[in-house]
Amino acid sequence: MDALVQLSDVTKQYDDDQSPAVAHVTIDVGHGESVAVMGPSGSGKSTLLNLIAGLDRPTSGTVRVGDVQVGELSETGLARFRRRQVGMIFQFFNLLDDMTVADNVLLPAQLAAVPSSKAQARLDELLTALRIEKHRNAYPARLSGGERQRVAIARALVNRPPLLLADEPTGALDSATGEEIGELLLDLNSSGQTLIVVTHDPALAARYAKRVIQIVDGQIATAVAPA
Amino acid sequence: MRAVRTALHGGLAGRRVQALAIGLVLLASAAASTLAAGLLAASNAPFDHAFAAQRGADAALAVNAAKAPAGELAATARLAGVAASAGPFAEATVTASAAIPDTPGVVFQAFTVAGRSSPGGPVDDIVLTAGHWPTGAGQIVVSRDLADTGSGASMSPGVVITLTGVPGTPKLTVVGVGVSVTNTADGWVLPAQMAALGPPTEQMLYRFASADSGAAVNAGVAALRRALPAGSVLGAESWLAVKAQENESIVPWVPFLVTFGVIGLVMSVLIEVNVVSGAVTAGTRRIGVLKAVGFTPAQVVSVYVLQVAVPGVAGVAGGAVIANLLAAPVLGQTSQVFEVAPQSIPLWVDLAVPLAMLALAGIAALVPASRAGRLSATTAIATGRAPRPSHGYAAHRLLGRARLLPRPVTIGLAGPFARPGRTLVTLAAILFGALAVTFGTGLGTSLNRVGTDLTLADTEHVQIGLAEQSGQQPSPGQPSAAAQQADMAAVIRAQPGTLHYVTESDDRLGVTGMAGTAAVTAFGGNANWIGYALISGHWYGAGGAVVNTSFLHATGSRIGDTFTLTDDGRAVTLKIAGEVFLPGNDPQVLTNLSAVTALDPSGTSPQMFYVGLRPGVNIQSYENTVFAKLGPGDYHQLSSGSGVLLQIISGLVLILTLLLVVVAALGVLNTVAAMTRERVHDLGVFKAVGMTPRQTIAMVVTTVAATGLIAGLIAVPAGIALHQAILPIMGNGAQTDFPPGIYNVYNPAELVLLALTGLIIAVVSAFAPAGWAARTRTALALRAE
Repeated sequence: MDALVQLSDVTKQYDDDQSPAVAHVTIDVGHGESVAVMGPSGSGKSTLLNLIAGLDRPTSGTVRVGDVQVGELSETGLARFRRRQVGMIFQFFNLLDDMTVADNVLLPAQLAAVPSSKAQARLDELLTALRIEKHRNAYPARLSGGERQRVAIARALVNRPPLLLADEPTGALDSATGEEIGELLLDLNSSGQTLIVVTHDPALAARYAKRVIQIVDGQIATAVAPA
Repeated sequence: MRAVRTALHGGLAGRRVQALAIGLVLLASAAASTLAAGLLAASNAPFDHAFAAQRGADAALAVNAAKAPAGELAATARLAGVAASAGPFAEATVTASAAIPDTPGVVFQAFTVAGRSSPGGPVDDIVLTAGHWPTGAGQIVVSRDLADTGSGASMSPGVVITLTGVPGTPKLTVVGVGVSVTNTADGWVLPAQMAALGPPTEQMLYRFASADSGAAVNAGVAALRRALPAGSVLGAESWLAVKAQENESIVPWVPFLVTFGVIGLVMSVLIEVNVVSGAVTAGTRRIGVLKAVGFTPAQVVSVYVLQVAVPGVAGVAGGAVIANLLAAPVLGQTSQVFEVAPQSIPLWVDLAVPLAMLALAGIAALVPASRAGRLSATTAIATGRAPRPSHGYAAHRLLGRARLLPRPVTIGLAGPFARPGRTLVTLAAILFGALAVTFGTGLGTSLNRVGTDLTLADTEHVQIGLAEQSGQQPSPGQPSAAAQQADMAAVIRAQPGTLHYVTESDDRLGVTGMAGTAAVTAFGGNANWIGYALISGHWYGAGGAVVNTSFLHATGSRIGDTFTLTDDGRAVTLKIAGEVFLPGNDPQVLTNLSAVTALDPSGTSPQMFYVGLRPGVNIQSYENTVFAKLGPGDYHQLSSGSGVLLQIISGLVLILTLLLVVVAALGVLNTVAAMTRERVHDLGVFKAVGMTPRQTIAMVVTTVAATGLIAGLIAVPAGIALHQAILPIMGNGAQTDFPPGIYNVYNPAELVLLALTGLIIAVVSAFAPAGWAARTRTALALRAE
């Protein structure tokens, strides 16, 4: 398997006097793969996702995404990496309240200085695909939870990143809406999008991920491929 | 109470940057306000303070010793109404020159020497600022006014003074410098020395039981006159006259001190309101949590007011200390100018101003804290740190369409619209800071030009006085006045560096219809090049003169009118061609020598030569060459007027401007820090989707850039208007109008720079919180609520 994400013996420790949030984790995720990271609260799964996204740096070990060794990048390099290589979806959406749906989605493209016409075309494409085009000029506060998460997904995909990271993407949604978002992620993965989803919902993991990694106390407990 | 203390401790510990910002803003604003108020209070009464400390003389009598025997004079000390007396001291008026290192020769015309055995006494305690009191013959203590020759050279112990107007031209060595608050003499020697200085008069100094008014002093002096033989009192000087003379130096500067003080106070209030409101707003969610766990509204309000008060107390206390430290050298210099003992900021100012600042901070905290205290717990938690809904959204939307600007910049530019109230207060604070810079720059330039106009340093490069200028008979071996003049003219003409020169003759002459006399300066030759600044009109031609503002006021005349100079029954009528810039209440006339020769043919002999040099000629080399050719002793370099006061005031302008800029900068820093803290989660989102540290800095800095730019653009015309309004008031205090050049001090390039002042204050101040925002860990920021 051609690995897009490679974690080699990665450890993240926030305080010297406490046990590491992530300890000696080694994982490979291939291109087009869909992986669910599961575990109880405080097990270190979100930290793992942050390390892959370049939102945090490992204390030891290496994180490689594509050709990029994430831990060696400068802060500016990390920002550029996040723009181009990674799209990220959060449990509580993390949309900017004072920007419209269109402005929220366009933001990563504008930061990456993508030409306006090209960014607008991508915006149209994503809003249509995610069925939120009628909310283009709405503010996030006026949208439902599902609609907000669709906006967040559109924002994550606007720069066509090879890797999509989702941290509890259905955690703040009711079950029906969570189901919708799960289907959407499944569709994205079916079209070739590499996906790593952090969740504590076994049903979501079983239904939408091709592989499930269990983390307990910062260490990989099991790594299984669903039947 | 324990719960309040615990919550207060937690609030302070958790918001150290905010507490530091509150402390620093209050420190700087308290320092600026205390300094301004302190200087104002101290400069208002330096004379009274020094007069009391040095037991100044209510009246100083000059008495003809031949007509009033010493016993009779001493007996006046026991007259009813006389509280204390000193003297009689022998006094004489002499002419002298001093050999100051690196200065060819400085001439002192008619200075008063008194014989005193010690500096202390019941009246007129002389404060020694350098050296010691004379211990033997040939020693003199000079007054600080005399010691400061004004030409950059000053007399210090060791300098030898030659008394040129006294038979035998005795030499006295300066052994000390002293200050008499009532200016009873320019120099002091031991009583035994006075015999060598010619027939003296006697000086008697008195303090009266009552001397609060001119009438009381006059009554005291009248009683003294009655007690002494008729005609024996040659003159009497009231302390009120000396005080008026001293205040003449202070009055012009009061308007600018008041202006800076008011600007400082307004800025402090604005910034405090912003700082405290920001602190309380940022803590709204915490207030909700406190209420949710059982805090009463009063307890919540107490926590937040104290959260401001604790760093506030430290800030204002530090500010008061800094103000006193800054005031010490300034007031020290000022007291030198006023010839009074060193001053300090009055205690009541040290207490009242910081307490007022603290009270303002408390009130500023009370209003938003009370509002938050009334919120329900759930509303307070929900309100949190986010801007109110609907504020600034349209701005984000519009600016998001601005394709020419980078997105981080447009996001930053939209930032101020989220909290319009805070933005307006920030704008006002920057505006006042930039206003202070514009006003201070203009005032500094105006004062500099006043100095240049008064000293004529740019044009009148070399001033040479004739030894015979005071009209005394030449000493043995000294050439006659005519010979000196001819020698001087020949030497000056022969120098290749001479561009032009003119002679000057000075006299005091009567003016028909005006009480007293006017100082008349008559130039031999074309004096147009000297560069006296004209307030209006033009330089004089044949039969004309230029006069100062005081002359116009004293005579009620205007440009184009004629006036008549009189002397010993002779009269000359001249036409006023222009109003010349020569401040002070002494009427002055500048004209051509030929126009007044008819008044006093023997008294109009030139006393000085003024020389303008060709470009590039070194002044010192020129002087050395000229004095080498003229020979030592007979010719003297003259001082070109004292610039000490102007230097002090310029220093004050600079210090106060800088303090106000610091206050404005701290206000901006705190505002940006508060905004950054409030939006730390958004910051995490921006960084998560790819905003680089540089883009983050650009976004944060541009949050206040437009506010700063607008404030600067408003501040320039406002500062110019303030400059134009304050200058005439200052001029009125100095009893003069100003030439147009003193008003028109802003050049276009300078105006562009001044217009950018607000932007510079804003951008520089925003860099620190912007750097903090850029360094914030993204994962941590995303977890912030």
